[in-house]
Amino acid sequence: MSQLSLRLVVSGALLCALTAAPRAQRGGPPPTPKAQAAFDITGYWVSLVNEDWRYRMVTPPKGDVAGVPLNGAGRQAVQAWDAAKDEAAGESCRAYGAAGLLRQPGRLHITWTGEDALSIEADAGTQTRAIGFGGARGTPGTWQGVSTASWDRGDSPMARGGFFPGATARGGSLKIVTTGMKPGYLRRNGVPYSADAIMTEYFDRFDLPGGDALLVVSTEVADPTYLVTPFWTSTHFKRQRDAAGWNPRPCSTR
Amino acid sequence: MMRLRHAAALCAVATIGAVIGASGQAPAPPPPAPGFDLSGYWTAAMHEDALERGAGPELADYGGFPINEAGRLFALSYNASRVTLREHQCDGYVAPYAVRSIGNARGWEERDPHTQRLIAIHWYNQTFEGHRVIWMDGRPHPPAWAPHSWMGFSTGRFVGNALEVQTTHLKQGWLRRNGLPESDQATLVEFFVRHGDRLTHTSVITDPVYLAEFEVRTTDFFRQHTDHQTWLFACDDGEQILGRAPDNVPNYLFGENPFVGEFGGKYRIPAAAYLGGPETAYPEFEARVAGLTTADGASKLRPAAGAAVTSRAVNPEPSDDDIHVWPLRDNVYLLTGDRGNIVVQVGDEGTFVVDTGTGRLADKVIAAIRRLSERPIQFIANTNFRPEHTGGNVKLRAAGADPSVRGSFFALQFADAGVGATIMAQQNVQTRMVAAGRPAEGNPSDTFLEERRRTFHNGEPIEMFWQRNAVTDGDSLVHFRRADVIVAGDVFTTTQYPAIDLQNGGSVAGEIAALNDILKRTVYRHQEEGGTIVVPGHGYVCDEHEVVEYRDMLVIVRDRVRALVKNGATLDQVKAARVTADYDPRYGAATGPWTTDMFVEAVYRDLSRRK
Repeated sequence: MSQLSLRLVVSGALLCALTAAPRAQRGGPPPTPKAQAAFDITGYWVSLVNEDWRYRMVTPPKGDVAGVPLNGAGRQAVQAWDAAKDEAAGESCRAYGAAGLLRQPGRLHITWTGEDALSIEADAGTQTRAIGFGGARGTPGTWQGVSTASWDRGDSPMARGGFFPGATARGGSLKIVTTGMKPGYLRRNGVPYSADAIMTEYFDRFDLPGGDALLVVSTEVADPTYLVTPFWTSTHFKRQRDAAGWNPRPCSTR
Repeated sequence: MMRLRHAAALCAVATIGAVIGASGQAPAPPPPAPGFDLSGYWTAAMHEDALERGAGPELADYGGFPINEAGRLFALSYNASRVTLREHQCDGYVAPYAVRSIGNARGWEERDPHTQRLIAIHWYNQTFEGHRVIWMDGRPHPPAWAPHSWMGFSTGRFVGNALEVQTTHLKQGWLRRNGLPESDQATLVEFFVRHGDRLTHTSVITDPVYLAEFEVRTTDFFRQHTDHQTWLFACDDGEQILGRAPDNVPNYLFGENPFVGEFGGKYRIPAAAYLGGPETAYPEFEARVAGLTTADGASKLRPAAGAAVTSRAVNPEPSDDDIHVWPLRDNVYLLTGDRGNIVVQVGDEGTFVVDTGTGRLADKVIAAIRRLSERPIQFIANTNFRPEHTGGNVKLRAAGADPSVRGSFFALQFADAGVGATIMAQQNVQTRMVAAGRPAEGNPSDTFLEERRRTFHNGEPIEMFWQRNAVTDGDSLVHFRRADVIVAGDVFTTTQYPAIDLQNGGSVAGEIAALNDILKRTVYRHQEEGGTIVVPGHGYVCDEHEVVEYRDMLVIVRDRVRALVKNGATLDQVKAARVTADYDPRYGAATGPWTTDMFVEAVYRDLSRRK
């Protein structure tokens, strides 16, 4: 192909991509994150503690860190754990920070607080996370840190138009990135994460035959201070019709 | 220049499409793309349940599993030495447990080479070489009488950004490999979803036999960009303990598992908590743990007093008053629909039929056989005398008439030569049928007294093996040796407890010996599944694994009754002890021809008379 031909093809492709751009971008404001929601995440969700049961339903023994990719500093911190000391220091909520909260047995109440903001309340430890789309919400240096959300549809920019307008992916996940967390525990027995930790979560809803629905949260905690590799968990919740069992209670070190 | 024209044309088409879309005359929305590609090499992240999935679970740790009483009692009865039995050494993992295993996985797509339609997604687990095929082409699941496998039968579809998979036809296996069972009645719904190079797998297991609620697990994988290479997980069974009695299946009597307190002692958790149950998975349970007492734990170690549970299993036999044909192997077929299973071998030398059903649908049975072969029915073999296996004898024998055969050298001895099929059975079948006043033309005329009857028919060796005093005194196995199909009659069923008929010569020991005799003749193809096909008298098509579980069940129940008899228990006390509590949701019956009470009574009376 000659240079001229090549230029023409590239120009044509660009023109083509531009003209076939999504209609949503023409006229009027773009749909809000709430309107763009891939699924209904709102309502009450109860955790089913089917996994890591003895790490979650009871406080495991000191030093029992199986499965967590701790580095040397992390292991040292684990050995220094003292529940009574935490309590005396007013640090009872260390296991209820954002990176540990969803592993607590409990219920979530998720609501839209605006067209671009979500709230995740947990009855365990009476915690609330504020989550913003397009911009972070929350307060740095708190247990729940600051969180930014987006709808992750897994498609590439090239799939949004151009030659292959039909190739957009279906559905999507709610992706939340959280930083600025006050140092806390991944597990109740003092398995630590630091203020440098970055947590990335994907929320997916799966509807089951028979009418039940699950919310599965795939979580990655990256923490150069205490972890060798990112710590991965996936935590599941079952949808409730109402607030039955909702039981806000204070943080506990026991 | 041609390429340029082509690109311009593509652009024009796309532009026109976009303009039409913008003008409000919206075309139908484009078909959604498949959710994602599962292809590639995947490694499990072992950050959750790491010890369980790696080194292995702790004994009696069932916390968070929504098991029912039967599931817990089955697990507590489990003795890990059971895996030393030859038939258990290579047990594979069922699909949902295989995903939890420590090994690597590989996924790939199978597409039609011409249309590029997605036919199936394959998922291969290194551990036990579990190869799953997830059919994406819309095919239906097999009927209830089809065989079960470790991986089951899976169909998938893309829902949102997930691959949703529905699986049926699973074998009995583990929820957790410390004895926590998943039954062959379990079904599975899964969701695979990708977030970049991370894959989250969610499994939802529904098991009416051993679970009180569905059980959910989520498992994480990360994508590897190179081949793990270590894909084999070869297993062949061998002799691990010599001289062990063939009726020895390691198990613990109710309440006598010596390791039940180990986990609690190690982690300071009350037994009532870690012995599981649906309540242990919910947040409310957290506040209750500290208050649980020793008595609460002890109450979970034995069956609760109360009425027996009845089977929650799907009836694998069709009830639409029609006969359904299922190909077994080569020229051998299953005919189901007239209650007792019927097996047919077809060929140029005439049809060989094993059992004839109740006879209520005999005309339809004959019609189904005719569709398989126009040759006359040459032989009928009866595995026992019961009406649901011999009820069609008269009509099927008559259907074997061949006017071209006008008797033989033996016509004086065999009056029916040429006028019907020859009916073969062990002599006691004939004796029982005569005594019951059954029509003479339907009674076996070709009988044998000891060990076996053999014939070579349609190019295949066929043997009948007498099972002395199994469920009756006239049971036979019929083995098609080339097709490697064993027809077990009522020695083995998937629908009920062994119908041990003491009055007609049945016995517990003989039944256990008969089940072991099946196992002596079977060879599995891979990881304790496939290979020799075993057709039960009632139920779905099996291989040796189902026979092993059935044999284990009978031995374990016998051991429990024997212990009670040894301590002087009466029949009422044995029944009150609910010695079948862990098997009742699978096999139990309160009504019908063979109830749980009748089974327990038969075992009790048989063992009592041998004191």
